[in-house]
Amino acid sequence: MSDDEFLRVSDVSKWYGEEKVLEEVSFEMDRGDVTVLIGPSGSGKSTMLRCVNRLAEAQEGSILLDGEEVLSPDLDVDELRREVGMVFQGFNLFAHLTAVGNVALGPRRVLGLSETAARERAEAQLERVGLGEQFDSYPAELSGGQQQRVGIARALAMEPKLMLFDEPTSALDPELIGEVLEVMHGLVDEGMTMLVVTHEMSFAREVADEIVFLDDGRVVERGPPEQLFDHPEEERTGRFLERIASHD
Amino acid sequence: MSDPATLALAAAASAAVELPACGGLPISAGDGLATLAPVGQSADWSFVGEAVDWEFVFRNADYLGVGALLTIGLTVASILLGFVVGFPAGAVEVYGDGYLKRAVSTVGIVLRGTPIVVILIVMYFVVGVPQINLGVATISSAMTAGILGLGLRSAAYQSQIFRATLSSVDEGQLEAGRSIGLSRFEAVRYVVVPQALRRSIPGFQNEFTIVLKDTSIVFAIGLAELLTRGYDLFSEQTTAVLEVVLFISAIYFVLTFTTNRALDYLGDYYAIPEGESA
Repeated sequence: MSDDEFLRVSDVSKWYGEEKVLEEVSFEMDRGDVTVLIGPSGSGKSTMLRCVNRLAEAQEGSILLDGEEVLSPDLDVDELRREVGMVFQGFNLFAHLTAVGNVALGPRRVLGLSETAARERAEAQLERVGLGEQFDSYPAELSGGQQQRVGIARALAMEPKLMLFDEPTSALDPELIGEVLEVMHGLVDEGMTMLVVTHEMSFAREVADEIVFLDDGRVVERGPPEQLFDHPEEERTGRFLERIASHD
Repeated sequence: MSDPATLALAAAASAAVELPACGGLPISAGDGLATLAPVGQSADWSFVGEAVDWEFVFRNADYLGVGALLTIGLTVASILLGFVVGFPAGAVEVYGDGYLKRAVSTVGIVLRGTPIVVILIVMYFVVGVPQINLGVATISSAMTAGILGLGLRSAAYQSQIFRATLSSVDEGQLEAGRSIGLSRFEAVRYVVVPQALRRSIPGFQNEFTIVLKDTSIVFAIGLAELLTRGYDLFSEQTTAVLEVVLFISAIYFVLTFTTNRALDYLGDYYAIPEGESA
């Protein structure tokens, strides 16, 4: 365990009724790390991600974030989510609010900023993701890629110490994926700590410090990208990567 | 005045004047039928009534006007009470749990399942609501009972409008709200409710129209609103049934049309812009 350890997930298990969806999942991240969760659909990677900000409840195990137990029943979940940003596969932008409105809502209502200050912060975040021209557009008026960038700006506006990305490009047309990955690249360069669920293997290879391969709710294998992608130790990892590669 | 429709209406009216609700008017069924005796004369405009009867209507327009004001007052008060009670009730049905949710949903079922006349009679004669002194004016106990009865029943219906629209907002909206640190209440308040209210406008237009027309039922507890006053009038001049009914219908139409258009406008004003790339 390094001095910089920031997130420690230990033996996390979760059931939906009888069905075990996570089984003793463990991994660690240092501050500034990028960890990418990969695996076939239904492998539990999104559920694992959602356990970190308690949108899903793990029944067993421990998740230590910056030394605090996330799974503690006494934890203030709103406080936790203030510090952990999340980007959704389906964007989930507030449909009735403009781009600025979407990004400003958290700063205004959660952080208690004045309307002007919240708007200024929202505009700055939208500039950061390259949407300086779309301040007053509604979600339905934006392309999927633009919507997802608003989603990222909305999470960033809370100045999170960890960002969770739940398949941020899976709902996008192929030609719109690049602009979202570019924004994510920028965050990596700025040193943001990121936990990412994605099928974008080349992105994972480029930015990840560690890849965690999940199958059937278990960690099958984990390691740095070059090791996991080029010399997988487990047969299941190899088979999964081959299947993914054949679709690229 | 002699086409079959007029005749039927007048006959129905003159038969009805014997009902206790219209008691006190010095008209018998015989009078009504007698005035209808000469049949066969066919004027081109007979389907909109006779000049002499229209004159009668206009002479009594202020009498109907007072009824219209009462109708408007009852409608506005009932719709407001219905909203103030019905919206939280709908929210409890969507987001609440346990006893509260069950209690709210049971009261709603009972109110929706009870004829409005029964609700009004219970309010007025059984509960015996008091008159309310507002300083500038006093609301009679019949009026109070009317507002409570119509308002609570409207609340029961409005709760279902809001229940439907609140649950129609995608789950991901609430989740995204929670993900930036809003509490459940705040996420509902700032994210779900604004979208649900927009979607409630068409259902609300229906409910408004229904309440407006249902206000006439307060005759059961002795309140003379628009329709009851119309009834009184054509009981007095039984040849004027068509004219009175047309005149009253026109008032109802103007009221429903203008409010519906106002709500349309509200809906358009707050509509969420749709793009081409959605």
